[in-house]
Amino acid sequence: MGALDGKVAVITGSGRGIGRGIARLFAQEGARVVVNDPGVNVDGSGGDTGPAQQVADEIVAAGGEAVASLDSVADSAAAERLIGMALDNWGRLDILVNVAGILRDRMIFNMSHEEWDAVIAVHLKGAYNTIRPASVLMRQQRCGRIINFSSVSGLVGNIGQFNYGSAKAAIAGMTRVIARDLGRYGVTCNAIAPGAATRMTQSVPDSARQLQAAAGMQAVSIDLGEHESAFARLVEAEYVAPMVAFLASDAAWNINGNVFYVNGGEVARAHHPIQMRTVYRRGLWTLPELDDAVQNVLLKDIPNPAPPRDDVQVPGRDTPAPPLA
Amino acid sequence: MAQPLADRCIVITGAGRGIGAEVARFTGSLGARVLVNDPGVNIDGSGGDAGPAQSVANEIVAAGGTAAANLDSIATEAGGENLIRQCLDTWGRVDGVVHVAGILRDRMIFNMSPQEWDDVIAVHLTGYFNLAKPASVIMRQQRFGRVIAFSSSSGLMGNAGQANYGAAKAGIAGGVRCLARDLGRYGITSNGIAPTAGTRMTQSIPEAAPLASGAVARAEEIEPPFPEARFVAPMVAYLLTDQAWNVNGKIFHVAGGQVSLAYEEVPDRSIAKAGMWTVDELRAVVPEQLMSGVINPAPPPPTLDLPGRPATP
Repeated sequence: MGALDGKVAVITGSGRGIGRGIARLFAQEGARVVVNDPGVNVDGSGGDTGPAQQVADEIVAAGGEAVASLDSVADSAAAERLIGMALDNWGRLDILVNVAGILRDRMIFNMSHEEWDAVIAVHLKGAYNTIRPASVLMRQQRCGRIINFSSVSGLVGNIGQFNYGSAKAAIAGMTRVIARDLGRYGVTCNAIAPGAATRMTQSVPDSARQLQAAAGMQAVSIDLGEHESAFARLVEAEYVAPMVAFLASDAAWNINGNVFYVNGGEVARAHHPIQMRTVYRRGLWTLPELDDAVQNVLLKDIPNPAPPRDDVQVPGRDTPAPPLA
Repeated sequence: MAQPLADRCIVITGAGRGIGAEVARFTGSLGARVLVNDPGVNIDGSGGDAGPAQSVANEIVAAGGTAAANLDSIATEAGGENLIRQCLDTWGRVDGVVHVAGILRDRMIFNMSPQEWDDVIAVHLTGYFNLAKPASVIMRQQRFGRVIAFSSSSGLMGNAGQANYGAAKAGIAGGVRCLARDLGRYGITSNGIAPTAGTRMTQSIPEAAPLASGAVARAEEIEPPFPEARFVAPMVAYLLTDQAWNVNGKIFHVAGGQVSLAYEEVPDRSIAKAGMWTVDELRAVVPEQLMSGVINPAPPPPTLDLPGRPATP
């Protein structure tokens, strides 16, 4: 017996990479799967019926149940159609997994509005576009699972990804809100920040290197401090799937509103960005008091992730600052 | 003696009322030249009024400071570009931008219309891009700048009925962290503020929250009446000073006299296995190890017949 026997799942971006691994494991665990993927390139261009159909065919050939969908989640009407496919084929929707995403890496000062809009449209609006119709069904059923994909690029920050990082952090925030909107109806909403070797991460080192070279910089890595080891190497995309399948199962009925890092055999719960260190004063702070509190308490031993270069003349560092009082 | 923000040219969105107005007045009193941006809309983004921005600018000038008003909407690409151009044309530089502007369209996710989603994302999140993009071009040339954006505990911790606002505000926190890494080496800092203050926007919460969230408590422990908006201004002003040159990529919660550094959303607790987990193994270890002591913020009521939940004796 599978962990997802009889469940109906919609998985966006499941023609390739992490999404495909999830679709295949879900089917192995007994779920009926709508494999959604318009088959676009990493930058969102083009389109190909191949990937979604191929994953659906593989599942059916292995004795499972699946149908392919080519709808783009960036389009509200298409996303509604996608959710409708689960209903039309199997009469219900138990699980929604939002994996679909594209990349348009660029330093902020060179990022075009088109590059901003395209990335926000697929990741963030795409998540809203699928979750809203899914939430209507799940609320009626008094049961459901929503699993979104976030990223370390937004949760911690990454160079050249203002659009992608904003979208992925927004998805984490949205996950926390939707957990609170839907929890009382027996629905859970969680997010995954994956580490995996896929088409998307192959492009990251390349584009990051290009951006850094253009800026005359040394290589910059995401600083996870003591957690660095967990993300030092990227492993097969299939490794992400078991945690997603667990969150989708009945056993995870009370796990709600969390973000989980999954990379290879490592699974971690992310810190909520709640208060880590606090200073308190009765009444209004003065600037000299804040200078002392921020430098010596709040930020003690916490580095600047991108300090000013030596050849930049920094007021306060290289030239005297006006006194604060 | 020079004032702490003497001659710094600062653009503040949403500065006609509430927290933005307090930041404008305070930075103006510290010697900054302030471009007060506010289209004077209602909380839901409707309407428009030249009064709020102009009156805050007038107050700063009457108090001996330097200020000008701008009525552009930061939700548009042209609005962001006009704002930065006006600051450049008027004073010749842009030393700091502070993105406070925001609207609310609270609704439970299953009832939220695409318009309600789009309008809130446009002002808060795309507004941040619309402001930061042209500002970053100038600041990179200057090899100096401060970018400060307003996040919210609604997105950082979660609040029912605010999927649009919470997503936008958490997205801003992610943007703050990315911007810090894009611009830090040029002598620019990027930080975020998650404020708690009594303003026109929080006045709407006691009405909206019971409707939207039932018995769910707000994430922050501070209950209404919220601390006054003016308490937020000193921390924003500090981040604009030269002394704060190395404070970068951080999110600060500010509530009254309480100032906190927020956790980065790094791994907290973890489990590891050499090889691929099975669903059965995760079922055995996740609830007891990874999730031990972590509560469900909105648990299903006991009356709900829920697959997987052990029967209560």
